[in-house]
Parts: sequence; C-alpha cells; structure tokens
Amino acid sequence: MIEVASQILYADALLNLASGAVALLISYYAFHFNKLLENSVLRFVSFGFMMLGMGLLVEAVTRIVVTATLKTIVAPNLLLSLASAIYLFLQVASYFVFAWGYALGAYTQTKVGAAFLLAGLTKYQRLRRYYLAGFAVNLVAQLLSIVFLAFVVFQGVLVYSRSHNRLSLMVLVGFTLIFAAHLVMLASILAVSGLLLALGSVIRFAGFASMLVFLIRSGRVGAAREAS
Amino acid sequence: MVELVQPEKPRSRLKIYLDVLSAIQAEGEAKPTHILYKANLSYDRLAKYLEELAAKGLITEKTEEENRYFVLTPQGREFIKEVRKAEAFIGGFGLTI
Repeated sequence: MIEVASQILYADALLNLASGAVALLISYYAFHFNKLLENSVLRFVSFGFMMLGMGLLVEAVTRIVVTATLKTIVAPNLLLSLASAIYLFLQVASYFVFAWGYALGAYTQTKVGAAFLLAGLTKYQRLRRYYLAGFAVNLVAQLLSIVFLAFVVFQGVLVYSRSHNRLSLMVLVGFTLIFAAHLVMLASILAVSGLLLALGSVIRFAGFASMLVFLIRSGRVGAAREAS
Repeated sequence: MVELVQPEKPRSRLKIYLDVLSAIQAEGEAKPTHILYKANLSYDRLAKYLEELAAKGLITEKTEEENRYFVLTPQGREFIKEVRKAEAFIGGFGLTI
C-alpha cells in the first residue's frame, strides 16, 4: 500500500513538474510581450505565472529528490513540508495576482487510498503533528485558491462572452480546469484520499496543457496575421 | 437614458504604428497618401508617426522622380511579426493593443 501511495505521489510530482514548466513558459512570453506593450495586466499575468511555476517546480523537484534519496514518500519530512508550504504560499499568491490583474483589466483518493495514507500515519505517530499542521495549511490554501480562481474564471467568462475569441476560450478552459482541480484537491484533503489528489493533479495538468495549446496557437495566429 | 453602445476607444500609439507599418507592408513601397488613407490618419499626424518610425529604424524613405515612398526595414518586418504575436497572446486575456 505504501508503495502504491509513493507511486501516486511520484506521478503527482511529475505532473506538477510539467505544469510548472508550462506556467514558467507563459510567464516568459507575458514578460517578453510586456517589454513591447507595457501593459499592467500583462505584468500581473507574468508575475502570477512565474510564482505558480516556481512553486510547482520547487514542490515537485523537492519531492522527487527526497523520494529518490529516502526511498519513501509517505514519511513526513521537514524538507518536503517546507517545499509544500512554499508552493502553497506561492500558489495562493499567484491566484490572487491573477484575480487582481483581471480585476484591474476589467475595471480600469478513494477509500483504499485513505487506508494506505492512514496506515502511513499510524506508522509515524510521533510525527502526526506534521500532518495535522499540513492538513490545516492545505485546507486554507485550497479554499483561498478556489475563491481567487472562481473570480478569475468569472472574469474569463466575461472576456470570452465579449470577444468570442478562440484564444480567450483556451485560457478560460485552462483556468476552469485548474479551478475544478482545486475543488477535487479540496475533496481529497477532506476525504484523505490519495487517488482524489492524483485526479486533481491530472485535471490541473490538463488545465496547463490547455494553456500550452493557447501559447502555441497564439504564436501561429500571430504569424498567420503577419503573413496576411 | 442608458447608453447601449460604448464609444470606441482611441487607438493606442502602438496600434497606430502597426496600422502604418501594415499599410507600408501591403504596398511594398508606399506613398504617404496611400498610407494615410489605409491607416486613417490626418496628414500632420501621419508625418509625425512616419518621423518616429524612421527614427526607430523601422522604415526608410526613398525618393524616385520627385515621389516619396516609404519601405519597411528588416527591423520593421520583425516588429510587425512581434506585435502580431503579442496581439494574439494578449487577446487570450481579453486585452487589445
């Protein structure tokens, strides 16, 4: 069971790694275009995706390195806890930045999983406080993320309803999937479900994949307009 | 009475640059009268923008048989390409140039 949990969390770390890379790519392009356009909303987009990407990469790389070194991913580890805290902080901050930026632009695990995670807990009783503290921090971070993302998605719907632009639809789909992922992750915390956590990561990765498609398509659309 | 139609926002400087450069690109070698017609600018404003674009090295002026023409420089072509990509990117976030 512990082995299965380790594999799920390892796959989760790999998805976070890929998502972080996409977030940093979007941040780079927003930064690059901001040098040309000098737009305050673009600065928020760049800064937000940079924080989100950095957080995802710090958390994913730390988890992969610690797993490879310690051969267990379920055991509480101060380094992992620190990386998770940094990630959660950056994640909430980045969603806040997106929400702020959009506001600125608009107005100026299954039961089996629970069992193996709980088995891990009973094995490491003396370090239970890590989990309890982590539980509270995760819960608050997810709730805040959901509130900020709900606002971002709402603004995204307004933007798409006005523009009917395919590229804004891709951004909307991306943020909606990330929003849905955080709802699933909140459920995973409440149900102590590793599988739900993994499902949340897959949905979030799908959101970032939509953002990647947006990035590629925007480059092509730009090139096509230039040619015509 | 509620205003149902919002007045159109004035074009940004960058948008005007793009319109002027696109007009020149479409013609290859463009006369000022053709540019002002395509970019929808008065002659005074066009003269000001052509001067700015030439100073930035995005266009050059040619004179043939007493006729003035403007042509894009390689930097001008690259600038259009970048602005078009930026326009498509920011469109995803509901922004326009």
